[in-house]
Amino acid sequence: MSFRIFEYNGSAIVAMVGKNCFAIASDRRLGVQLQTIGTDFQKIFKIHDKLYVGLAGLATDAQTLHQRLVFRHKLYQLREERDMKPETFASLVSAILYEKRFGPYFTQPVIAGLGEDDQPFICTMDSIGAKELAKDFVVAGTASESLYGACESMYKPDMEPEELFETISQALQASVDRDCLSGWGGHVLLVTPTEVRESTLKGRMD
Amino acid sequence: MKLDSGLENSSSIFLGGCSGLEADFSAPPSFDLPITNDFDGWQKKSVQMVKPARGTTTLAFIFKEGVIVAADSRASMGGYISSQSVKKIIEINPYMLGTMAGGAADCQFWHRNLGVKCRLHELANKRRISVTGASKLLANILYSYRGMGLSVGTMIAGWDEKGPGLYYVDSEGGRLKGTRFSVGSGSPYAYGVLDNGYKFDMSIPEAAELGRRAIYHATFRDAASGGVASVYYVGPDGWKKMSGDDVGDLHYSYYPVVPSVVEQEMTEVPVA
Amino acid sequence: MAQSAIEVPPKGGFNFDLCVRNDMLTKKGVQLPSYRKTGTTIVGLVYKDGVVLGADTRATEGPIVCDKNCEKIHYMAPNIYCCGAGTAADTEAVTDMVSSQLNLHRYATGRQSRVVTALTLLKTHLFSYQGHVSAALVLGGVDVTGPHLHTIYPHGSTDSLPYATMGSGSLAAMAMFESQYREGMTREEGIHLVSEAIRSGIFNDLGSGSNVDVCVITKDKTEYLRNHMLPNPRTYVSTRGFSFAKGQTEVLSTKIKQLRERVVEVAVEGADAMEE
Repeated sequence: MSFRIFEYNGSAIVAMVGKNCFAIASDRRLGVQLQTIGTDFQKIFKIHDKLYVGLAGLATDAQTLHQRLVFRHKLYQLREERDMKPETFASLVSAILYEKRFGPYFTQPVIAGLGEDDQPFICTMDSIGAKELAKDFVVAGTASESLYGACESMYKPDMEPEELFETISQALQASVDRDCLSGWGGHVLLVTPTEVRESTLKGRMD
Repeated sequence: MKLDSGLENSSSIFLGGCSGLEADFSAPPSFDLPITNDFDGWQKKSVQMVKPARGTTTLAFIFKEGVIVAADSRASMGGYISSQSVKKIIEINPYMLGTMAGGAADCQFWHRNLGVKCRLHELANKRRISVTGASKLLANILYSYRGMGLSVGTMIAGWDEKGPGLYYVDSEGGRLKGTRFSVGSGSPYAYGVLDNGYKFDMSIPEAAELGRRAIYHATFRDAASGGVASVYYVGPDGWKKMSGDDVGDLHYSYYPVVPSVVEQEMTEVPVA
Repeated sequence: MAQSAIEVPPKGGFNFDLCVRNDMLTKKGVQLPSYRKTGTTIVGLVYKDGVVLGADTRATEGPIVCDKNCEKIHYMAPNIYCCGAGTAADTEAVTDMVSSQLNLHRYATGRQSRVVTALTLLKTHLFSYQGHVSAALVLGGVDVTGPHLHTIYPHGSTDSLPYATMGSGSLAAMAMFESQYREGMTREEGIHLVSEAIRSGIFNDLGSGSNVDVCVITKDKTEYLRNHMLPNPRTYVSTRGFSFAKGQTEVLSTKIKQLRERVVEVAVEGADAMEE
């Protein structure tokens, strides 16, 4: 019996940048290999109102890492009396992951936030914290190959929030429908400087 | 185990053409073996390489009016879904169906081969082959290749002179007669629904709905099953396709959702 | 400094807590994930007035190109830069760390950093991890002792060379250097040869691709020519992409949270602590 550790639970996460806004989306499945355990599993976590992190990969490590990230952000808030900038947060995540270079958390983070002057920021990393900053979109999870394809063709620069929502949702749905281990609905967060729109998507349940 | 080493010429008649038509099909076709010292290792690796369509849900059951055969339609390679529209119920002849689980190529080839054998039986004996006989033909072939890497898990369902017939046959050489079978990675889920809802006294629509529902529930829980839930019925007049429903739509017809109203709330953020 | 009441992590160094678990998983037959690599072409050469460094911009994860325009020439000091190949996280972390050490050293001494200092810091770190920190580097810079170019291997061995290549495209790039390098080249000739070496890697090595980054370091200034050449522009992009009508995606539920800017509270006498 041999399987890849990222395929144990299954996940699909994508973040996209629009005009002064960003969207981050995930699937909702929690599985144990081929068996679907839950269809309302949270994979995108709030750090503060304008900063979110999606954690793909092994669910147990994703939840542990999330707790550590929230803890470190709270310490930062207490010391600095302000929220973290997305760039700073990305460096923090990277440092936490690289600390475990020789015994990593099996999770791939996607970070998305609005930074100074509400400029959107998105970034992903591998499981040992090699940052990849992108101007357009980032993907992670078992459906990442399909997501690369979907985003590469569907993405346009400078989309307005409404169009960004449709694009990221369609890209997510198209991708998870080609992946056994993710899907069972979608979860999309659309963040603009003035509002956060959180939606659950109707998707194929197979 | 039968290994065609090439020394026994008599058994190698796959495309020989020297004997008559009858002889061509009476002996099981044989493959040439690879030139390797480590046959077991080679076989293990090659079986791993050509192993699509592992995940599947198929089921069949006998009831008052005949046999229901149902299956999903997904083909996957690892985590990747290579097709959502595979025909996993194979029409052997107008009175007999076979289902496909395991290696797609193995199932397709040997079902076609079985179809030929059944037709030849019909021509030789002037009557249709029984389900018992057909399933035994297949089981004997699979047994002759046992341990050589074939991957077949199939159900042969049909109607013959004795009424409805249902057999489970696999590449390990097993052949079981029964009234209720499910094969594939989604079979535990399908059995759950099937065993719970099964009665011998069912109308055809009731039975078809049971089969469809069992497939739907399997596709929901099993990541490797999905696509379309197709249901066939085999009765005294042969088989008939009852339905083919996209389980993406089926889910929302079984469990309708009402889009909820947009929730609104306010929060304060620090000045950027 | 006061002792922290709770254990606050930034102590530095690696943490091996999960090694036992991960080892157990490996023994059970679990395949561990592949890390982001820079299957790379990185080069450097010494010319008349200084050093030219070059790199391609492809980052890969197994067979997937995960970043088409990443930065592989890392900042070490104002007069020193370093190209990195190997596991992306390692090259990034090791250059960042040494860069900080050099910065602190400059604060302490008040002098410009020397290339040998960076070289020693890098090689001692890599040697102490016996090749497990898989960073293959081309280090270049100009200091008081003149221009320097070094290669550093993951196990900690180093070379000092007039021209150097590293990464999976090193053979393709070295072919260009071996046939065209001369002593005492001009700035333009140096940049040209470095670009040609990188292009050779981009086109002949599957692990390298996309664009050419160049960095020119002289005694007085450093020029970072990001995307100096773009030999692989996107040819297949449709002008309008896809357009999705609003409301095309079926949504089950929506929750909207309005974000208002928090007003900085100023104590006003007599005023009620009421929101509008």
